[in-house]
Amino acid sequence: MSPYGLLLDQTLAVSQRLLLEQWRQRRGLIFWAVFPAAMMLLFGLVYAHNANMRAGLDAAAAGILMGAALFFSCLGGTVSIIAAERERRTLRRLLASPLHPAAYFLGVVLAQMVLAAVQVLMLYSIAWFIGARYHGSLLLGGLILLLSVFAYVGMGFFLGARFARRSEEVVVALSAIGVPLLVLGGTFFPLEIMPAAMQTMAQLNPMLHMNQAFKGVAAYNLGIAELRFELAFLFVFCAISLALGLRSYRLLLVEDQKV
Amino acid sequence: MTVTLQIDGLFKRFGEQQVLNGFSLQVARGDVVGLLGPNGCGKSTVLNIICQLLQADAGQVQLAGQPMIEQSVHARTRIGYCPQQSALYPDLFPQENIQFFARLYGVPAAQRNARVAELMERFSLVPYAATRSGLLSGGWQQRLSLAVALVHRPELLVLDEPTVAVDVEARMDLWHLIEGLRDSGTTILLTSHHLAEAQRLCNRVALMRYGKVVAEGSVPELISRVPGQAVVKVQSEDNQAVIQRAIELGWSVCQHAGKISLLLPHNLNLREVVDALDGSKVNAISIDPVTLEDAYLELVGDSSSISLNL
Repeated sequence: MSPYGLLLDQTLAVSQRLLLEQWRQRRGLIFWAVFPAAMMLLFGLVYAHNANMRAGLDAAAAGILMGAALFFSCLGGTVSIIAAERERRTLRRLLASPLHPAAYFLGVVLAQMVLAAVQVLMLYSIAWFIGARYHGSLLLGGLILLLSVFAYVGMGFFLGARFARRSEEVVVALSAIGVPLLVLGGTFFPLEIMPAAMQTMAQLNPMLHMNQAFKGVAAYNLGIAELRFELAFLFVFCAISLALGLRSYRLLLVEDQKV
Repeated sequence: MTVTLQIDGLFKRFGEQQVLNGFSLQVARGDVVGLLGPNGCGKSTVLNIICQLLQADAGQVQLAGQPMIEQSVHARTRIGYCPQQSALYPDLFPQENIQFFARLYGVPAAQRNARVAELMERFSLVPYAATRSGLLSGGWQQRLSLAVALVHRPELLVLDEPTVAVDVEARMDLWHLIEGLRDSGTTILLTSHHLAEAQRLCNRVALMRYGKVVAEGSVPELISRVPGQAVVKVQSEDNQAVIQRAIELGWSVCQHAGKISLLLPHNLNLREVVDALDGSKVNAISIDPVTLEDAYLELVGDSSSISLNL
């Protein structure tokens, strides 16, 4: 088998294994689906019910997908994967195998992309039922989602490798850090209703710009020219996340060798 | 003799602790070599370096004549590693775990299913094909780990205390499996705390202390290094008196867990031994041939972390 063939097969093996494990842990999968679905339903109904807020319904659907769904599944899911590999000592077993670090990383990204695609379908089905619509370019929206998945997985590797030693810590850390970031990123409420100080602070939150980019396409049919700042930010954030994630993963492998 | 593994002068330090101190070993093709030694003597560190889980501070490891540091990924495809604690994916079925590692090791797709089926059969895992790996008992998980380690037909199989976490029955089963591998010509390097395990499975044994090999050879060779023809085991109300008398007679004395072992420099029968120890308060006495246990105590001198019996 050629080195590239092996890399591809290893990537597919890792992603298939992760998806199979997800499927076998159905209870976790239900909660994974219920949270964003419930958020979509609750916030969607609030927006749809209130005449003043109805215009924000399309943006709310995009925000909840980007924040409540992808944040927890791609970022939280990656942190959980790293913590579980450590706890089960499979990380050391993988280290003794010829698995290429890039194949492992890409395998996780691929698995998270499949899960993200399922979430997009699920959430937009609910959103459609409530009355929300997707207005923009599917290609541009898809690109933003793809970059977001890469960025979330990169951050997941960074946080998982540096901080999450045990699975229990993942839930606590995500709740403590993640939920404020989501609120401040305009996931559930538009930025305009926040106090000025919070709006200024929110500009430092990468979640906000990811949300703005996807909302811009999905709810307001904006193109590349109008979203150039958000897209540039997303590219840079994605690159930083991936670099941090890969570096942390390499450090994790070195640290795990010392155990 | 074709050498599969050649280790020369390994040094490894963790902080202030010098774990390996010039460790050298040679493993010939088809050999089953056991690494024995007290806790902390560096057995697992040696295996971790061979499996590239650790880097040595100095020294060289060669696999079939090629330095391993320069062929990292390639070397990993030539080694099968079975860790001390099974490292399996608990939600996967046994055949799925084997299949997953087959893909990581680059087993060609056309051969993969047949290889997985062959290992499932060989390790009697077929009845457990519908049981998640995490629900298997410790012994069966270790069997599965062995199957996983063999999936790519490695040139060298590395077993880190393969029976440490299993019950006696499972240990006997695993011994039987490892004997089967030995008989089929698999080259194996294993660490163990069980002298009986090493005596049964290994055709060569390396005894370690303070990070290096202090004695190496076949079990009969190691036994022959013990300066005695037989071992007298004595239970006495007055151990000091027995020891004093044995020293006067010029016999080697070894004390372990309150029991005294005396090495006879020449063959004596029980009556002659009892007569020789005359005056000591001997409660029970037996004469046995020299075993690996005696060789270990003589050559390594620390039995605190070694299981002397099954």
